[in-house]
Amino acid sequence: MVEGRGKVTLVDLIRYVIAEGIVRGGPSYKCLLTGLALMAIHGLYLWIFVQHAPIFLGSDAGGMIVTGMNNSVPWGLYIAFFIFWVGVAAAAIMFGLAGYVFHHKGFREIAVIAEVQAIAAILIAMMLLFVDVGRPIRTLILMPQLPNFPQSILDWDFIVLSTYLILNILAYIYVLKKMLAGQEPSIKFEHAFMVIAAPFAIGIHTVTAFISQALVARPYWHSPLLAPRYVATAFASGPALLLLILLIAESRMGLKVDFDVYRKTVYVIVGSLVIGLYFTLSEVQEIFWYTTEPLKRAQASVLFFGKHIWWLGFLGWLWVILGVAAVLLSFIPSIRNTRKGIAILSTIVIVAVICEKTLTIVVPAFTPDSLGQVVGYVPTPIEVAITVGVHAIGFIVYAILARAALKLLIQRQSVGHT
Amino acid sequence: MVDETRRNLIKAGVVAVVGSAIGFIAVKREKLMELLKPVDKVELLSAIDREYSVYAERAKKKEAELKRWCMEEAAKLCRERGEESVECVEAKRRCDAIQVKATGPRKGVRFAMAIDLNKCIGCRRCAYACVMENNQGRNLNIEWIKVLGVERKEFPEILGSQLDYEMAPLPDTVYIPISCMHCENPPCVMVCPVRATWKESDGIVVVDYDRCIGCRYCIAACPYGARYFNWAKPVVPVLELNPNMHILGNVPRVPHVVEKCTFCIQRTRDGGVPACVEVCPVGARVFGDLNDPNSPIRRVIERYGVYTLKSEAGTNPRLFYFFGPSKPVHKQEGRR
Repeated sequence: MVEGRGKVTLVDLIRYVIAEGIVRGGPSYKCLLTGLALMAIHGLYLWIFVQHAPIFLGSDAGGMIVTGMNNSVPWGLYIAFFIFWVGVAAAAIMFGLAGYVFHHKGFREIAVIAEVQAIAAILIAMMLLFVDVGRPIRTLILMPQLPNFPQSILDWDFIVLSTYLILNILAYIYVLKKMLAGQEPSIKFEHAFMVIAAPFAIGIHTVTAFISQALVARPYWHSPLLAPRYVATAFASGPALLLLILLIAESRMGLKVDFDVYRKTVYVIVGSLVIGLYFTLSEVQEIFWYTTEPLKRAQASVLFFGKHIWWLGFLGWLWVILGVAAVLLSFIPSIRNTRKGIAILSTIVIVAVICEKTLTIVVPAFTPDSLGQVVGYVPTPIEVAITVGVHAIGFIVYAILARAALKLLIQRQSVGHT
Repeated sequence: MVDETRRNLIKAGVVAVVGSAIGFIAVKREKLMELLKPVDKVELLSAIDREYSVYAERAKKKEAELKRWCMEEAAKLCRERGEESVECVEAKRRCDAIQVKATGPRKGVRFAMAIDLNKCIGCRRCAYACVMENNQGRNLNIEWIKVLGVERKEFPEILGSQLDYEMAPLPDTVYIPISCMHCENPPCVMVCPVRATWKESDGIVVVDYDRCIGCRYCIAACPYGARYFNWAKPVVPVLELNPNMHILGNVPRVPHVVEKCTFCIQRTRDGGVPACVEVCPVGARVFGDLNDPNSPIRRVIERYGVYTLKSEAGTNPRLFYFFGPSKPVHKQEGRR
């Protein structure tokens, strides 16, 4: 309806996104949004009134003691999923990058969905940090002057995450404005965006790995392989999620996607998966053949043998099994070349990477802790509910922004084809 | 069109490179070197010294606030137990005595501690005294001093050591009391995103409880497990309150901030010794100024030699361990 209008202001755009993303959705879409909103409200309630009650309400009860974290395992579920979502955000650049490097029309067309994914994933990641921090309001100290900039990697992380978020929001606004006005997004802008955003995309995940890999106190992390491993498996999980979204958009909304996009993305996913598995192998060799560092060995045996915490060993091996299974499945033409097969493959990959990169990265580094004591960590229901709530907010943003963009894409496709 | 963009980008790059090259040549080399020179630690530290008036002001405010809180609690006690009761009198005495200091570091002092592992009997009285002295939340089980029991033949490998032993001293066990090492090269200070923790010029690593954002990065970075997070609102009973406080030390904490051993900053800055040193029943702890040639710590270093825990971490701790001259009595008895 707005198609072909000359000038589109930001207000028009926001109005359009709200209309298309929220108001004009079908009943099942609205059900989805309502469900997510309920989860989000539940999570927010728990965060404000239980976990952070001493801060926000000044009450004596509550506090972060309701989480499973303790002085021995100071980071838990929040940081674990923070790492995962930073990876997803970083890998979202892949579609745009493929469009830019290979001048591939199919990839270029749907790059805007990748931007939406980056926005949503970074929002989830930053919100997870925000609920994890003990004194969220004091994080404003970070804003203007970055007090400990060159030394503290968290300051670096703050810069790259917020820059990448802003870049993606700008790109989304620009592309949607152009599409609303019925024009083609300029190739110049796209290239400039890629040149600036691609290093940041790799940067966010690299810096996230640098947070932990430089810590002498945690031998399990203390390896330069951590950052490459993060990036490798990120490029498996991120595109896999994008493919799932595209498949849903195709079947539910009538979007047309060049099948070549699927095929090439599966190559990227499988390639990254192989590299990730190879890195795991390399780590296993380093730890179990000659390492004489007792703490590193002890922490690794938490992951690989499930010592002290059995489910960590289970998750660790699930990553290997599912990863190998996904690679093997991708060799079968009927899976690689059908939409159903790709959906199955993507789901397996996402589960595999969640097994690899969430709690299995965080908890073994603290078990045993730096004094050799085993305290252990089990996320509490409150922690899980808050994490779910944060994810719900992110998915709401994802759904709204993606639906608005997809509607325009579909409109343009139908105009172009008739 | 694409090529044009690329050409423009390359042009911009060339201009930037040439510009910086000209700048590099034009600016005097000495000035450039001055810029590139790493910041001198002493200079930075003196900058912190100058800012101490900020803490004095904050300490005054905190003192008033604490007195008000304490009086309320005392009034409650008095209502329950009666005006003449011992508790009421004691609580009021403590409230009156509350004093929040902001004493700065003395010039030329470098504190360090050494522990004689041959003497330590693992009684954990130091940990107890520390809790009482430093107003730790009684509900959070935070103890700045942990005593590890390590088998004599495994020493100093702390993996598999006992933290919760119930019998001590055992003949075949070395007891290693661990608290903040006040490292010369502290990883916790490096990682803090907001500079809420730093090393003072007298060697004490302190935390600013009003600045800490509670991200717990320093806990992850500390190789000695010496930092603790207030997972809930800490509760200190008025009757156990230590009225001698320092704004960067044992002032009662707010929830969700990190805390740690400060070498009892409220005592040592005024010339005293830490509570753990004072209370140790076997005199295993030695505390003093590394820069003073007559200090007990220097004597220990010169006579016995000392070693540090996890020296491979490169943190350069200032909490030393040594094996003193006398074998513990219980060990000789065990042999007979």
